[in-house]
Amino acid sequence: MKKALVLLGCPEAPSQTPMAVYSVYKLTSLGYQVTVASTPSALKLLEVSDPEEFYVKNKIDIETCLENLEEGSFDLLVGFVHKDAAVSYFVTFYHILNTNSIAVVFEKDPELLENYVESITGSTNATIVSARAYHNPTPIRVKFDRALKKLED
Amino acid sequence: MTFCLETYLQESENYEILISRAGFKDCIEVIEDHAPETIHVKPGEKILGVRIIGIPPITIGIDEKKGTITLPYTKPCYGTAVVELPVDKEEIVNIKALDIKE
Repeated sequence: MKKALVLLGCPEAPSQTPMAVYSVYKLTSLGYQVTVASTPSALKLLEVSDPEEFYVKNKIDIETCLENLEEGSFDLLVGFVHKDAAVSYFVTFYHILNTNSIAVVFEKDPELLENYVESITGSTNATIVSARAYHNPTPIRVKFDRALKKLED
Repeated sequence: MTFCLETYLQESENYEILISRAGFKDCIEVIEDHAPETIHVKPGEKILGVRIIGIPPITIGIDEKKGTITLPYTKPCYGTAVVELPVDKEEIVNIKALDIKE
């Protein structure tokens, strides 16, 4: 079975948790066994959002995940990026895993959004999904669906 | 016993934070301005027991005279900090061996 890692950033942005649940749902339906790596606070939001683990079945602390990560551990990396630190984490996970990767970059400030996209473009070959978004996950979801479709074609 | 940066920062006061809650690029500039010698490493390399997080090539500062290294330290909700801390000579040799020599 193909394995995907969904990497979450700081849970400050409201769109992240619903998009995390949605991405796990989509990836699972595409045949991936999905693990979500997150901070303890982002994990709490996921646990409350999906109390019976209907969608998110495998969760791991981001630091533990990073510590044990090796090339080949996952077939696909999906990282949520809405802070400078999340850019660094995504790029680091990308370089360790060396596999197909999608960066989901969202931010309400267009200048910051552009900076994050430029940093990822300049240091990885990842597919980038970017949207000016904060509360509303729809623009991110639509572009994420397109990127997944492209990946599967 | 293996040195662990996480534990060291929690238990020791013998380190200096040069900048905190900053962007990664700003932190790299701080290291380049501060350290007399720099090397560059790949993201994910282990230094002092932790994986170095950032955008490649990641600059690590070395001051052999003071016996310190200066490195970026990133946490998801707090951004990146730059930490200078003392290390022994043997560790400096190990860290220099990670240089990707741009």
